[in-house]
Amino acid sequence: MKRSTESVLLKPTNEDTVGPYFPINFSDPLLEDLTRFESGITGQAQGVPILLKGRLLDRFGELANGTLVEFWQANAKGIYRSPRHEGNSDIDPWFWGYGRLRAESGEFEFKTIMPGPCAGRAPNITITLFSDGISRIVTQIFFADQASNVTDPLLRSLNSEDQEKLSARHEGQTDCGAKIYTIDIVMAGENEIPFFDDLLREGE
Amino acid sequence: MSNIGRQLEIGPTDNTSDQRTPRKRLRLIPETARESFVPCVPQRGLSRQNEWDLTRIAPDLQRAEGMPIEVSGKLQNERGTPISNAMLEIWNANHFGRYRHIEDHSNLPLDERFLGTGRVFTDSEGNYKFWTISPGAYLARPDIGRWRPKHIHISVSGGGSRLITQMYFPDEPNNASDPMAILMGDDFERNIGKPYETPKIDVDCGLKFDIVIGGRNAVYFE
Repeated sequence: MKRSTESVLLKPTNEDTVGPYFPINFSDPLLEDLTRFESGITGQAQGVPILLKGRLLDRFGELANGTLVEFWQANAKGIYRSPRHEGNSDIDPWFWGYGRLRAESGEFEFKTIMPGPCAGRAPNITITLFSDGISRIVTQIFFADQASNVTDPLLRSLNSEDQEKLSARHEGQTDCGAKIYTIDIVMAGENEIPFFDDLLREGE
Repeated sequence: MSNIGRQLEIGPTDNTSDQRTPRKRLRLIPETARESFVPCVPQRGLSRQNEWDLTRIAPDLQRAEGMPIEVSGKLQNERGTPISNAMLEIWNANHFGRYRHIEDHSNLPLDERFLGTGRVFTDSEGNYKFWTISPGAYLARPDIGRWRPKHIHISVSGGGSRLITQMYFPDEPNNASDPMAILMGDDFERNIGKPYETPKIDVDCGLKFDIVIGGRNAVYFE
């Protein structure tokens, strides 16, 4: 995981805000429901279906409308669909583990499967937000009813109040029997949830 | 290695930035959790055959109003390695500064010949190219007279990268007062397309915009 410290590296293009008008016509229903694969084929993601319901809130408690939300997660066996795991027999061919939706009002519903535990981690979904006025910010969401939360290194790096802010709560189930989890993602201000610094600096 | 997370900055004169920018320092990620934060975006997606040409809604329709331009460049990582088969999602305002997005409620004119969205993929050498109409600037803050300079939104995904950026135009009077440009400081230069001559048959001019995926937007397990 070491990166080159040579000074010949090219300077990266600056990130910029997504703005308010991310094209709605770029939406893809299959990225909003990872329990489904393309229609007309036999094949389905393994694992326990869940529905993650979230609200994105600004520092005044108003919904952060028009936010683009992206998700990535491990499959039911705890394996990410990343180049590192290419060829791994625990890859689920019917599960990509990447989702995306535009939360028009600032509320969202994301259908997926409960991620499996992965290398010492509690089940989690990485959530990355692109919103007007900011560049990408990133955090991870956990599930309040998972016993392995107490040993998760990321949760353990936070105080209990912040741990709670990243824990989605189980609240009922859908008509199809999927567990519903809810979370408030407060982007700024007093109740702001923890966001993480994923910038790799030279020499890391 | 820094042992303190970054403090994000608020874009000056940008109300939404004030409402949505986290105020606390970003938290550090324990090493054992690091890998899970690497963008995991599969190569995916389709683009219709004509999507590289935003100057018309479909090949059988007429050109939109305004100046047709070509934007091209190379997508690469910090070491100069080309990133192939990545998807670029592109959107820009029309000649008058209006988006054909149902939430753009400005009274600027729509152009019935302009959609303003398209998707292209990088080739095996990381190169991409598209045509569009040079977008209009628009008044973003009428109360203080602040404009959004001409810009084209570009979202890059696939090949282990995830980046949303904007390409700006050289010598535009509103560049200097743009909130995000102010936050970029001297680095803003890198987000400005570089003009080049074209045969002037299909487009009036070209802008070269090489995109370097680095820092937090790249995959690092190599």
